[in-house]
Amino acid sequence: MYHHRIPCYGDLTPGIPGVVDTKAATHLAAGIRDTPDVPAVPSTPRPGSGGVAALDAKAISEWEFGAGNLYACVRLESGGAPLAPLLAVARDFSPRVMTATEREVLVDISGLGRLIGPPDEIARQLAHALFDARLTARVAIGPTQTIARVLAQADAARDAWTQLPVHLLQPLEAGLKAGATPAMNDRDRARPYETFDRWGIVTLGDLAALPAADVASRLGRRGVALQQLARGRDLRPFVPDREARRFIERLELEWPIDNLEPLSFVLARLLDPLSAALERADRGAVAIRLEMRLTDRSTFARVLPLPVPMRDARVLRTLLLLALESQPLFGGPREDRKGPPRSGGSSDVMIDSVSIELDPAPARIVRFSLLDRALPSPETLATLTARLSALVGESSVGSAVLLDSHAPDAIEMTRFDPESRREVPASTRAAPGGSLPLPALRRQRQPPAIRVAVERGRPVHLASSTRGMPYGAIVEAAGPWRASGGWWTTEGSEDGRLRQRAGGTRRVGARAGWNRDEWDVALKSGALCRIYRDRSTECWFLEGIYD
Amino acid sequence: MRAALESLLRARQLDVTLTACDAPLPADRVAPTGDPALDAALGGGLKRGHLSEIVGAASTGRSTLVARLLAAATARGEATAIVDACDTWDPISAVAHGVALERVLWIRVRAPRASAAPDGAGESEGRTSSDTTGASLRALKAFSLILQAGGFGLVVFDLADVAPLAIRRFPLTTWMRAARAIEGRDTVALLVGAERIARSAGGATLALDTPRATWRGATSRARLFTGVDPAPRVVKAR
Repeated sequence: MYHHRIPCYGDLTPGIPGVVDTKAATHLAAGIRDTPDVPAVPSTPRPGSGGVAALDAKAISEWEFGAGNLYACVRLESGGAPLAPLLAVARDFSPRVMTATEREVLVDISGLGRLIGPPDEIARQLAHALFDARLTARVAIGPTQTIARVLAQADAARDAWTQLPVHLLQPLEAGLKAGATPAMNDRDRARPYETFDRWGIVTLGDLAALPAADVASRLGRRGVALQQLARGRDLRPFVPDREARRFIERLELEWPIDNLEPLSFVLARLLDPLSAALERADRGAVAIRLEMRLTDRSTFARVLPLPVPMRDARVLRTLLLLALESQPLFGGPREDRKGPPRSGGSSDVMIDSVSIELDPAPARIVRFSLLDRALPSPETLATLTARLSALVGESSVGSAVLLDSHAPDAIEMTRFDPESRREVPASTRAAPGGSLPLPALRRQRQPPAIRVAVERGRPVHLASSTRGMPYGAIVEAAGPWRASGGWWTTEGSEDGRLRQRAGGTRRVGARAGWNRDEWDVALKSGALCRIYRDRSTECWFLEGIYD
Repeated sequence: MRAALESLLRARQLDVTLTACDAPLPADRVAPTGDPALDAALGGGLKRGHLSEIVGAASTGRSTLVARLLAAATARGEATAIVDACDTWDPISAVAHGVALERVLWIRVRAPRASAAPDGAGESEGRTSSDTTGASLRALKAFSLILQAGGFGLVVFDLADVAPLAIRRFPLTTWMRAARAIEGRDTVALLVGAERIARSAGGATLALDTPRATWRGATSRARLFTGVDPAPRVVKAR
């Protein structure tokens, strides 16, 4: 059920010393939303009342709530839901938004009455906006943050302020210097409320009516803070959240462009002010979002993640251009484009507008060492890696990582980061029978087939039809070293894919595994080779040349 | 007079072409190889800011020597790079020699295959000489990019499996430009090939002549290949 009402809290005044009866002119608007399918019930402003925004100065000063202040508290019905959509709705109403708790947002709506109207109308429009955003939340409006927050969590909003139960103050204590702290256990946190029970203090009105000096002498600073809250006063100022700043630039081109050379000038014009803005904000970009509207009404979008936060305009432009070169704009993958399909060829498509947004992150703090040798800067490495990737392919540039596997050539490429530290897998093979490592192997990533003559179980001659491969009589041979593995996996499995990615494996039926006898041989020509016989196909292959 | 001229050139940092200067270099201007005998022959190690080379036939220990140089450089905390013109570098062997892989930028240049047999046999026959030359030129471009970027302690250009004819097709100014790119920097550029390729005036040629494989075990069934001991011969301008 959706209901919207304006409770009158004029009876707050008897509990607050020095407050006159301003019943006729004091209003707190509260919109409570349970189920959104029932239309809103419009509130009827009381005759003669102008709402909080219309309170006369005399009443405000007597209330000590601050002149013209008005706060809305929006409280999510269910905890754990993301607060971002709620903040977005709140920012549509006011730029001054403060996150009170993980499910409560306070909005400073002072002065909004001139735009929207009385508080009940503000509450109604806020509730409608929340409904449109598919949020289930409560809305309460009050002249202080405390009143708005207490009303937002009160189940019975019809009750007068003085009739609300005192335990509603408990959530408001979090974060207060004199109040409960997260380090307190449940018993400490509940102790003053147990005292109130013993004293017969049940409602906010009861607590507000107590003599302040006596409360201080018996309950200390925390008791005084609770009484201030019971009187609707704020114990901490409203500190609005700083809205995440967006770094975005857009340029509509007078004449469409159709290649990367003029585009580089456009990118420079966009990136220079963005880089300056990042520097002023002490931020770096961790991703570049490029969006270009094309003349065929489609949109080319590209997100370029950056390895480290950086803000050098030249580096950013170079990285963007290299990314566009490696995935050519007009022949790029289809998924980069959104919009209606193109009817013509790719050559007639031109760029109409360019938009760049940078995802900001805290800038890097770099401390150089006097003792260590300087490494290439991340900007240099990013540019170099991008250039190399455009030249030889992204998968062919990086740093090798040994996989924890006994599969031949079990390696993987990863991003080159000379400042990282890695552990060598335990499965890295040591030299057989000695502490010295075997000589480095020049590995054939696609092992060429060879012909091997075998006498009495040992290879005696090697021949190859591949140009440049060693051949001749075998004068020394050590082996066989039998190796097998991966027979329990199939090609479709994750382990099988890993084996295939590592390379050096042979197909064994439908399996991705290896099963072979390895030999170290010395040829008469002096070449030292590692050869193996695939036991499933009985074929010989040259795995590599020791060098 | 000659000593005065050499000192003047050195003072103005124009001594890169001095080949007659045997004055010991400061420790930070050489990159030790990790082999005391080789370091002694080189005068402390390979000169930084110069182009050197390792030449030798297959199985003479070129890759083992490269692995030792990479291990020494990465142990000093330097960033290194290897441009693998035929995609034959084996990181597993390198780790066994003590190379810290996270400090090695590996550029794998692979010639496109014309056709691939299902069993993997005969793929190399599918490559044409133009493919090989194109791959070599891309590797050369990658090598130039790394040298120009700077910041690397050792950059290895492995051309050991590239046909000499493809290397001779490189532009004539290639190695001079490479030497100029690292002049005065802390980078050691190292070419690896089957034949002499190039070196700068202060660089060295490490020539590996004959394979020195060591085997163990008396009988044929007990034979065990234990390694190759590279014995480089240092060839310098003087």
